Amino acid sequence: MKAFSFPVLLFVFFAAGCAHSPDPIASLAPPAAPPQVQRVLVVSDSVQIPPTPPEIPVTSETKNVDDYGDIEVPEKVSEEAQGEIADPLEPFNRAMYHFNDKLYFWVLKPVAQGYEKVVPEAARVSVSNFFTNLAFPIRFVNCLLQANFKGAAAELGRFTVNTLWGVGGFLDPASSEDINLSKQDEDFGQTLGAYGLGHGFFIVWPLLGPSSPRDTVGLVGDAFLTPSTYFSPWYAGAGTRVYDRVNDTSLKIGDYESLKEAAIDPYVAIRDAYVQYRLKKVNRKGGNTPAEDSELPRK
Amino acid sequence: MKSLKVIVIIVFVILIAPGRAAAGGPFGPPQPIAKEAGGLHTGIGYWFHEDKYKNGTEQVTRQNQVYSELSYGSRNGWEITARVGMSDLKLIDAFSSSTSSTATSKEDFEEHGNFFSTLGVKGFYPFNKTFGMGAFIQGTYYFSDFTDAVSGTRNGVPFSVELGVKNLWDVNFGTGFQVTVPYGIKMYIGPYVHYSELKVSSSADVAGVAFASGETTMKNKTGLGGFTGIEVPLAKGFRLNLEGQYTERLSVGAAVIYVY
Repeated sequence: MKAFSFPVLLFVFFAAGCAHSPDPIASLAPPAAPPQVQRVLVVSDSVQIPPTPPEIPVTSETKNVDDYGDIEVPEKVSEEAQGEIADPLEPFNRAMYHFNDKLYFWVLKPVAQGYEKVVPEAARVSVSNFFTNLAFPIRFVNCLLQANFKGAAAELGRFTVNTLWGVGGFLDPASSEDINLSKQDEDFGQTLGAYGLGHGFFIVWPLLGPSSPRDTVGLVGDAFLTPSTYFSPWYAGAGTRVYDRVNDTSLKIGDYESLKEAAIDPYVAIRDAYVQYRLKKVNRKGGNTPAEDSELPRK
Repeated sequence: MKSLKVIVIIVFVILIAPGRAAAGGPFGPPQPIAKEAGGLHTGIGYWFHEDKYKNGTEQVTRQNQVYSELSYGSRNGWEITARVGMSDLKLIDAFSSSTSSTATSKEDFEEHGNFFSTLGVKGFYPFNKTFGMGAFIQGTYYFSDFTDAVSGTRNGVPFSVELGVKNLWDVNFGTGFQVTVPYGIKMYIGPYVHYSELKVSSSADVAGVAFASGETTMKNKTGLGGFTGIEVPLAKGFRLNLEGQYTERLSVGAAVIYVY
């Protein structure tokens, strides 16, 4: 029962939280009166005035022209489509960001660096492949939920090939040039996004990092499809996830540091990167490229 | 021509050899399945295996093995193979009674699914693009014991006996001759030496039932055998390997291999 109470509480919290999300359309509404265009004719004796050409109406593919039909009005673009997100919890989020930042530099990074020293890169990549293969149910089910049947078939093929010929998933022959089945990086948050649910506001969770109410609900959904959730005792599953994170971090040391160094305000940079990354994932269908997977440094 | 003569002699030796034993898993083609400069291959396979053991009494065993293998080597050199899998074990007629006063509930000893591991090394020498010869050594060990129990009556008195098979292992070494035909299809044949043993322990001594109480070590009946097989390239880097090992009984199997 305890295992279920946390996700339920989270859901209730975010269901309530979504109501505070500002209406992105209303906040970006154009002014009530369209701007007036002043026409000035300069008359000069020495210059013969050519006959006034017939007024050419503005052609617009979007059909969004003003009342006079000569100025195209920009289409109302939602905050989400622009890659922006409301941040009503900024003080809390900044505090959590600093907590995660310290956790990364004081705990996760030193542990990952020690691990990196003793475990060769090939072995760490194999471990990463194994955990990626283990997360197959998340990608497969979410492809189905998004009616991406081609993607679901590709995922099923990847899982079969990598489990049988990839030594239980430690190798990734499915991504080879010969077989070329690309990973469908789908999760429940993206599925909710594909159904038209906005991500809501920005929130930074301790340990988990940047998220949104939609993606937090997605995380809960994904947890049900993660095999390690069902490991018994519970700390075996938790230990597995921590190991996965340490291994993953050991392969990405420096990514977060680069982003942080390049940014004037790292919190804002990570927030923007997160929103755009998730937006891109929601909007695109089909397989990932390897570069896509490493776009957002994860803490 | 000389190499062809060698092949003919070897085929002759295999056909007349008094082979009786079967081995644990396929040996594969003599030439390592790898890219030219060296690399990995992985595979999954099924192997139907029969063998005959003896120590006073003779016992036929039957196994169905499924396995996954990982190999590393270079195409015209050497290869090392590791294999893990699961196998059942059936001792045919191990519980059948030879006297009318003893009746048993079943005739065969049977247990499903124990892990085994195989390690093998092979080397290959190509005569030319078509013919080549190789040698190999391969051993298999079962990590856990097989157990089964039988109940019955002896002169109307009920009894129950538990039989255990432990320390089942084998080692095989041999040579193989290979011919590569168009489309990259490889056919191979060769003789091999096989040694295998297991320990059988019975919890009780029941007259008419084959195994007496205590522990008995049994060894394979005959140590010389022959094998032949074919390896066919499939699409997208996959290859199919079919192999048979003929002794007193026939063991056969198939594996689908992916070359990295």
